Amino acid sequence: MRILLIGFGVVGQSFAKLILERRNELVKVHGLNPRIVGVVDKGGAAVANPELDLAEVLEVKKREGTVAASKHGKKDASALDLISNLDLDVVVETTPTNIKTAQPGLSHIEYALKLKRNVITTNKGPLALALPELIELSRYNNVALLFSGTVGGGTPILDFGKRCLASDKLVMVEGILNGTTNYILSSMEAEGKSFEEALKEAQRLGYAEADPTLDVEGWDTACKTVIIANWLMGRGVTLKDLSVEGITHVTKSDIEEAKKKGKSIKLVGRVAERIDVKPRLINRNDPICISGTLNAVRFVSQYAGDEIIIGKGAGGMETASAILRDLLEVKYRMAQRWYE
Amino acid sequence: MKIVMKFGGSSLADGSRILRCGSIIERYKQNHSLIVVVSAMDDVTDKLLVLTELAKNGNREAIREHLEVLRAIHIEATNIIKSDNLRAAAQEEVSKLLTELEKVMTASTLLKEVTPRTRDLILSYGERLSSILLEHTLKDLRVDCLRLQGGEAGILTDEAFGEATPLFEASKSRIRSKLNPLLEQNIIPVVTGFIGETQNREITTLGRGGSDLTATLIAAAVKADEVWLWTDVDGIMTADPKLIPNAKTVPQISYAEAREMTALGAKAIHPRAIEPIAEEGIPVRVKNTFAEENAGTLITSTTQLKEGEVVKALALVKDVGLITVSGAGMVGKLGTAAKIFDILSKSGVNILMISQSISESNISVVVNRSKLHKAVTALELALLGKGVVSEVHAEDDVSVVAAIGAGMQGTPGVAARIFGAVAKRGVNIRMIAQGSSELSISFVVKEKDALTALKAIHDDLNLGG
Repeated sequence: MRILLIGFGVVGQSFAKLILERRNELVKVHGLNPRIVGVVDKGGAAVANPELDLAEVLEVKKREGTVAASKHGKKDASALDLISNLDLDVVVETTPTNIKTAQPGLSHIEYALKLKRNVITTNKGPLALALPELIELSRYNNVALLFSGTVGGGTPILDFGKRCLASDKLVMVEGILNGTTNYILSSMEAEGKSFEEALKEAQRLGYAEADPTLDVEGWDTACKTVIIANWLMGRGVTLKDLSVEGITHVTKSDIEEAKKKGKSIKLVGRVAERIDVKPRLINRNDPICISGTLNAVRFVSQYAGDEIIIGKGAGGMETASAILRDLLEVKYRMAQRWYE
Repeated sequence: MKIVMKFGGSSLADGSRILRCGSIIERYKQNHSLIVVVSAMDDVTDKLLVLTELAKNGNREAIREHLEVLRAIHIEATNIIKSDNLRAAAQEEVSKLLTELEKVMTASTLLKEVTPRTRDLILSYGERLSSILLEHTLKDLRVDCLRLQGGEAGILTDEAFGEATPLFEASKSRIRSKLNPLLEQNIIPVVTGFIGETQNREITTLGRGGSDLTATLIAAAVKADEVWLWTDVDGIMTADPKLIPNAKTVPQISYAEAREMTALGAKAIHPRAIEPIAEEGIPVRVKNTFAEENAGTLITSTTQLKEGEVVKALALVKDVGLITVSGAGMVGKLGTAAKIFDILSKSGVNILMISQSISESNISVVVNRSKLHKAVTALELALLGKGVVSEVHAEDDVSVVAAIGAGMQGTPGVAARIFGAVAKRGVNIRMIAQGSSELSISFVVKEKDALTALKAIHDDLNLGG
């Protein structure tokens, strides 16, 4: 299967490493031979047929900072050029999330769908701002649009809700969807730190970005909540339909207060009648009340009742494994015509 | 003799060349009964194709420029006509046709749509324009002639616009009733090649090798003695002279050899054009307009072999890709080959070459390079992960070299000589195929080695001059 990888940051590189490591097994067990024919990053692209030498591309990226320095490098190639000019089965979009304009990811995805390329993305921006229309376009063009890495990293939150609970009716989904804020809130609670102290600590450990706005203001959780609302519960909403509140104003005394009542403060994204993101009081014996960088999601369905999934919510390899999960799904869809 | 002469686009590339064709006709008509078939002027058909693309984009300005170029080329060519009256008449006819074409283009541009039927109409202007030029040039030389469009000459086709097939019997009888009276009156018919018409009198084009087909179909109808194809090379060559400078003309080949050569991309006659004359066995001569004295190549129904001549010509097929499907599980597994061919055909991929080792552990196929990746994806999706096929390997940097010649039939050791020549140059052969008809041997080498291999065989088998 011929793949164009757009974006070669932590997730993109992890995906390349994963393919290098697991190719034999993928071919043998799953009948999937992923051939990455192009990689695009900010400095340009690398393109080769029948596929790129991933070890070389990873090495060049590490050494020179861009894949354009590869022996198959193309400085002037743009992602849009390659989407249309290469012979492709799948476009994997891993550029960083932009919640203001969703670009450049949004134009990459729209263009790929128009040209009937299957799309796998880990970029939450385009989904948060335009998921209803992207789903419609992918159906109209009869190609897959898959994004299981956007919620829960490697933890199959979307697949669980979509497939395993397909026969039931979801009435509510809520969860702790952002590892950074959960780490901050957990360390405020356990070590009595202020928000600022806990944030610094998280930044030092690499759990929070230098500019933590997306996480601490609740936008990352909001993006994931939009995706859950659309994909699992058929609610045609985008980011602007949500009320979003972050954790910057949560104080030590708020946390002490909660503790006394046997509760913790957690940043929760919830899709019920209302769709919102805000810090909520959670009983400490509730299974979704997890600490550290973990994610936890509760699915409440009409007949099966409550189910909870807990797992690591982010990380390069974790998200790369979600891309691979989506890639297998594309493979099975494409191979369907060959099964009698 | 009764001869059908077809003049190719390069023979009609400008006024002086058209005059040369006219002189050839004037000379041969003294002793022979002639029917003339013309192609469009060099490059004109390509320009018309560009026009159809421009119309789809609604690009008026570029269309206007292209039409201007077409007008200039054809009007310029009329200057070779000496008689003022004839020149003026030719110019008027050319202008009339181009004005008509302009209207067709305006309509298509407004609609931004060119249906296959409209496309055929647009393409037909090439031959219709060139036939005007040759007709008036002939009249200028006081040669009595009559210009006929394909349909007027009797060529009736099906409605497969873009690659129409003549209805042979109906066409032949119409051609006879139209052309025989002209021949009896010593009037030379000048027929547009490449064009036919449907029962409803819509213009169709005959697709690849179209003008040759017009010529051979007419030859079959009027029971001509020979068909002469006038071109800009000395007939069929032992190899592409651009690649092998000492390539020389092949004096004679059979229809079967010609078919094999064309299929392999050599410049010979298109297999579709052989069909009408195969039964009658009418010989075809390929001659050079610019070196009339050279005998050219004679294509006949039977093979004439010179002593020791096994390979007549070589062909090089570039732009191909090699796919190797392998797996220990394929050994003795029934239906694997069928499955591979089925997958490729359902994916719209044409197979050019096939080979399988007797061990059955791998099958190799050669496909057009533009379809290589599509083919590989389909094969991988359908075959991997089921315990039979373990790998689908693709190479996009290969070429096919083919040696053609009926002399290979029953001559032992030909393969040894061919592969010996290649091996001596250190070129590795990736795959070999020979049909049991033994008309040709094809093999795959890396693209960078292809020319070396071609030269090696050409030299060692003494094909050159």
